[in-house]
Amino acid sequence: MADPAGLRLEVCSDPRLLGLIRGVVRSWMDAFDLVDEKRRHEVVLAVDEACSNAMRHAYGGRCDETVDLALGASDEWLEITVSDRGRPCPPECLRRELPRVTSADDLRPGGLGLGLMRQVFDEVRLCSGPEGGNCVVLRLRRGGKDGVDGEGRV
Amino acid sequence: MKVESEVKGDVIVIRVEGDVDLYSSPELRTAVLKAVPRASAGVEVDLGQVTYMDSSGVATLVEGLRSANEHEVRFTLSEPSESVMKVLELARLDSVFEVRRS
Repeated sequence: MADPAGLRLEVCSDPRLLGLIRGVVRSWMDAFDLVDEKRRHEVVLAVDEACSNAMRHAYGGRCDETVDLALGASDEWLEITVSDRGRPCPPECLRRELPRVTSADDLRPGGLGLGLMRQVFDEVRLCSGPEGGNCVVLRLRRGGKDGVDGEGRV
Repeated sequence: MKVESEVKGDVIVIRVEGDVDLYSSPELRTAVLKAVPRASAGVEVDLGQVTYMDSSGVATLVEGLRSANEHEVRFTLSEPSESVMKVLELARLDSVFEVRRS
């Protein structure tokens, strides 16, 4: 039997498909009324970041590889897994947190994706993918995390 | 995404429309980094018609601001849409940029 509200996508690693992926994730949440409207945009953003990381970093911009998405929901959790078969993410990236930047002197472009995922989801787990590469598991407690400041962890 | 640059007095205005993501942000980056050294007073990035922005778009704006500081010109975001403000807040960068609303 299929997972309740389960959806699996196998997408080629071409950034032109990111808009389509965002549309699918958004429609999936709309169809099952999974999280409140305000949070849907944040979830779409975080999933987009995970896919972009796979395309840009794991595959180094190669467009003919595969990114897998698995979307699922229970009464309590929304869980989205993004996996690739590319270069493993260096360990120092896993520890990266978003700094509180108040001045332009502290600014560093890049390295924001994982921080954004952590701001949006209650749990962000990075592991090795089923066929090597990376697997990002994003879990959100439904009706959980409140707002954009990321302070409402449960 | 559509990007258009226009000289308005001593400011170069860059108008952005549509989705700014990993695919489209390099075009915005080119426009911003080309405008900064040519601007006599400032660069204004009009983000009112941006329907979506990801971290690569934010990184592009960060690069623009750093470059503008080096060239000693102003770097302003004008009329940022809700999606732009959301990603800047999530990235904790909303207080870093000068934002202009009419």
